[in-house]
Amino acid sequence: MALLETRGLSKSFGGLKAVSGVDLKVQPGTVHGLIGPNGSGKSTFFNLVTGVYQPDPGSHIEFDGHDITNLQAHGIAALGMARTFQLLRLFSEMTVLENVMVGNHCKTSYGIVESLLGTSRVRQADQNMKEEMLDLLEFIGLANFADIPAGELSGGQRRLLALGRAIAMKPKLLLLDEPGAGLSPVNVDKLMETILGLKERYELTVVVVEHILKVVMSTCETISVLDHGQKIAEGPPEMIKNDHAVIEAYLGRELPDDEIRNAIRGQ
Amino acid sequence: MISFITNFASAIESLAKIHRLLPWVIAYILLLFLPNLITATFGEYYVDLANRCCLFILLAVGLNIVKGFCGQVTVGHIGLYAIGAVTSALLAQNYGLPFWLSAPLAILVTCCAGLVVGLPSVRLEGAYLALATLGLGESVRIMIAVTPALGSSTGIMMIPAPTIGDYVIESFDHYFYLVMTAAIIGIYFSFVILNSSTGRAFKAIREDVIAASVSGINVPFYKLLAFVISAIYAGLAGALFAHMPPGYLHHNNFTVIEMVTLLLMVVLGGIGNIWGGVVGAIVVTVIYDQTKDYYFYQPLIFGITMVFLVVFMPRGIGGVIEQAIVKRKFIEKHEEQNLGTS
Amino acid sequence: MRNWTKFLAGLAAGGFVLSATAALADEIRVGITMRMVSENGQKYGQMVMDEIGLINEAGGINGHQIKATLMNDECKSDKGVANANKLIFQEKVHLLIGSTCSSVSLPIVDVTAKAQVPQIIPHSTNSQITQKGSAWVFRVPVSGRFYAGVNAKYVGENIGKKIAYICAADAASQNDCDAMQAQMKSQHGADPAYVAQVQEKEVDFRTHMQKIKSAGVDGIMVAALAETMSRALIQSYEAGIGTDVRRIGSSSASNAPVPKISGDAVKGVFYAAAYSNADTRPIAKLFNQMVKDRYGIHAPDHDFSQAYDLIRIVEIALNNSDLKLTNSSLAADRTAIRDAIANVKNYQGLASGPISFCAAATPQCRDGNKTPVLIAYKKGGEAFETEVLARVNMPEDFGL
Ligand SMILES: Nc1ncnc2c1ncn2[C@@H]1O[C@H](COP(=O)(O)OP(=O)(O)OP(=O)(O)O)[C@@H](O)[C@H]1O
Ligand SMILES: [Mg+2]
Repeated sequence: MALLETRGLSKSFGGLKAVSGVDLKVQPGTVHGLIGPNGSGKSTFFNLVTGVYQPDPGSHIEFDGHDITNLQAHGIAALGMARTFQLLRLFSEMTVLENVMVGNHCKTSYGIVESLLGTSRVRQADQNMKEEMLDLLEFIGLANFADIPAGELSGGQRRLLALGRAIAMKPKLLLLDEPGAGLSPVNVDKLMETILGLKERYELTVVVVEHILKVVMSTCETISVLDHGQKIAEGPPEMIKNDHAVIEAYLGRELPDDEIRNAIRGQ
Repeated sequence: MISFITNFASAIESLAKIHRLLPWVIAYILLLFLPNLITATFGEYYVDLANRCCLFILLAVGLNIVKGFCGQVTVGHIGLYAIGAVTSALLAQNYGLPFWLSAPLAILVTCCAGLVVGLPSVRLEGAYLALATLGLGESVRIMIAVTPALGSSTGIMMIPAPTIGDYVIESFDHYFYLVMTAAIIGIYFSFVILNSSTGRAFKAIREDVIAASVSGINVPFYKLLAFVISAIYAGLAGALFAHMPPGYLHHNNFTVIEMVTLLLMVVLGGIGNIWGGVVGAIVVTVIYDQTKDYYFYQPLIFGITMVFLVVFMPRGIGGVIEQAIVKRKFIEKHEEQNLGTS
Repeated sequence: MRNWTKFLAGLAAGGFVLSATAALADEIRVGITMRMVSENGQKYGQMVMDEIGLINEAGGINGHQIKATLMNDECKSDKGVANANKLIFQEKVHLLIGSTCSSVSLPIVDVTAKAQVPQIIPHSTNSQITQKGSAWVFRVPVSGRFYAGVNAKYVGENIGKKIAYICAADAASQNDCDAMQAQMKSQHGADPAYVAQVQEKEVDFRTHMQKIKSAGVDGIMVAALAETMSRALIQSYEAGIGTDVRRIGSSSASNAPVPKISGDAVKGVFYAAAYSNADTRPIAKLFNQMVKDRYGIHAPDHDFSQAYDLIRIVEIALNNSDLKLTNSSLAADRTAIRDAIANVKNYQGLASGPISFCAAATPQCRDGNKTPVLIAYKKGGEAFETEVLARVNMPEDFGL
């Protein structure tokens, strides 16, 4: 059974159909790529699935056996879905450690009234959580920066922290929106390694949006391609590489076939 | 001065290592002697001034929770203060309840009102939220002004002072023990909240609502919670104000001017900084009292101070000090590391 | 930024030092708290200080100088109480003057009663001020209970019994409005023809005026502060309510801005007060001239006259008290001043009637002026003119 399944997922902004009738299945334990030209609706797809946007009527989203079509974002998160944002959206005035602790919010073991009273159980639980989160920071290489505000990190460190915050939720499904944007090629490779490491360590299913196709091709088991809000292709990397519709969507018709193929292969 | 404060801060930290509550207990015990000290040095009137400082500390610390931690603009806080004050006063006067019952009930009523003041925050932001809360706060005042049972024009008079057995808490210094205890407890819990999952949720909402919600934070719920918690502070401050001799309430104590003064305290102290709010409340109350002779210029001075603060010291006094402490810690840590490597 | 914190800390510390200066012996210390937010308020605050200055220049009280401290309470009870506490406990005043607002005088009565400091009130009319049973409070102005009586008496006998009311939400106006309605009922058995509760600074009275017009009343009482009252008066004519319907003001109709803002709409409006600047007695003419010369005020209202009378009464009382003026005699001196004020009898000043106090802690003894005067505007505008309609001696028990 698919971990995430959308049927007829649509969203329009005024007249613009940002996502239209997308059927998509993500199998558990896989790394699923989502690609498409700028403005093709990838981020909107994420926003719909995570409850940031309300989908249009007729859409249907199922996650881990629950109908989440009309759930609010925090409810979906509680079911085990985590994501990063294209523009990161870190809590920049909070410390690095606090950022990942917020990520761990759903796993808080004490109630709200208790948290307001500051009982010893709260302090113990917070202490345990802190240690666990420091472990996580250690794994992604940010332990030394635990106490500084997230806003003071470098660009690459911020991307790592965004990832860490999502992982801290201990999700079943992790949606990554352009995790490598703005990184140098070497760092992108490193990042992908980290992501795959995290996937193994925390037994995640991952959906990744990425423009660097080389990365997508080499890490994803399945790739879905969006264009103008519609799914135009889906399959294993080898199939996508040679799909004519994909090639057209990316580069138009004018280029000779070879060049197109090379471009998509990321050479 | 800054280095004095950072030394002070690290001294407190080492105390806290012995026992979490030790610095609080020591501070409390020291503060018990404050009225004597003040009376001996400045005169007993300054104990009264200290009492008013404590009331404003409660208000500012409460406002900081909703404005500073959670980032929700509210101009309705003074209305909550009014509700706490009037409720406790009426319960004591009409039903003969002792302060120890009327105050908690007043806090309960204020919490409900806090929920109402917070409701617009679920849909509105920024200036719109400010307007909505302003409207709610003002309507509380107008309600009091036109309803004879709530005091209307004559006000509520002869609200009884709190009693313990036969003893009436009415002198400046004995009232100080009451309001100071309330202020210390208020500050303490403000820290507890800030350091809990609830506090982190508040801050996350302030920083980025969308990121907070996909992190599993129920944003509307926590926004309302922030308003309700701040209402507890406002209600308590209100009740303490109502029963403070001579026990008189009038709707003109709860106008927009008072609200702006309160905002000035929080901004001066540093939005989101607990000690900043405390310092802001004390500094503004004391300076206001000491510059009374220049009443003609006061509104002007207050306005200009506010603008200067926002432009030149957006993090307020608390922010400046906090930065100094963080910097110092950073330096210390690096020195340690250097020693370790050399 | 460092400098900022230093600056603020320095300011606070400096302030403490300033106010911590010890009170000097051998002076009579008088504390004053008043509403000084308007230009008029500041001017009569100034007049009180000037008059005290003149007493000092003329040699003081039995050779003692008066040290006066003037504070602004902004007409807010918390500020007023703080001022009273500061004056009593820090300045250690022998006598407290204030306030000019009922909502401030009311709580201060409790403060002075507990601290046992004589308090004399220049301008607060709320009846309850003297009904709290404090032995330490004296009121120079006419109490609201008399005003209500005299207005209703005159209205019922000379205008009619069908009266519409417009009542603004501020303390004094509410009090005036409620009292007037109660008096019309008790003296003439008349219920209000129409009542409108409006905001303290309401701007639009049109719907109310239309309703009043169709109700066909004998008179309209506008109980509001000066600007609000003026707006209501002007709008009453704009609504087409004729001159046969008499306009009745609340106590603030006496304030100079009313005829100035209202213009012709003020003609025929009368109000009860404690002073008329149309008073033809020489003392009143001299006073009018003095206020005009010193403060540029064309026709002083009873805010000024009462503050002036108050200072004269204080002067008389202080001259008659046997003061030690040492640090240890503070309580005795305060008592002596209280008793001396209670002994002031039949003081004839600017006020509409003689002012007398007595020792009992009752309204009969502590509401000094029991003779309101009815004043009508003959002409509005900058150079407005008034005339005395009637002077009514009220029984001392009236309204209790
Ligand atoms: N909140 C919004 N309001 C209006 N239009 C929107 C909104 N969000 C997205 N869109 C539009 O929807 C379309 C899809 O945008 P989306 O951000 O999903 O594209 P994308 O595939 O993520 O592109 P990129 O690769 O550049 O990030 C775009 O035309 C965009 O302008
Ligand atoms: Mg995108």
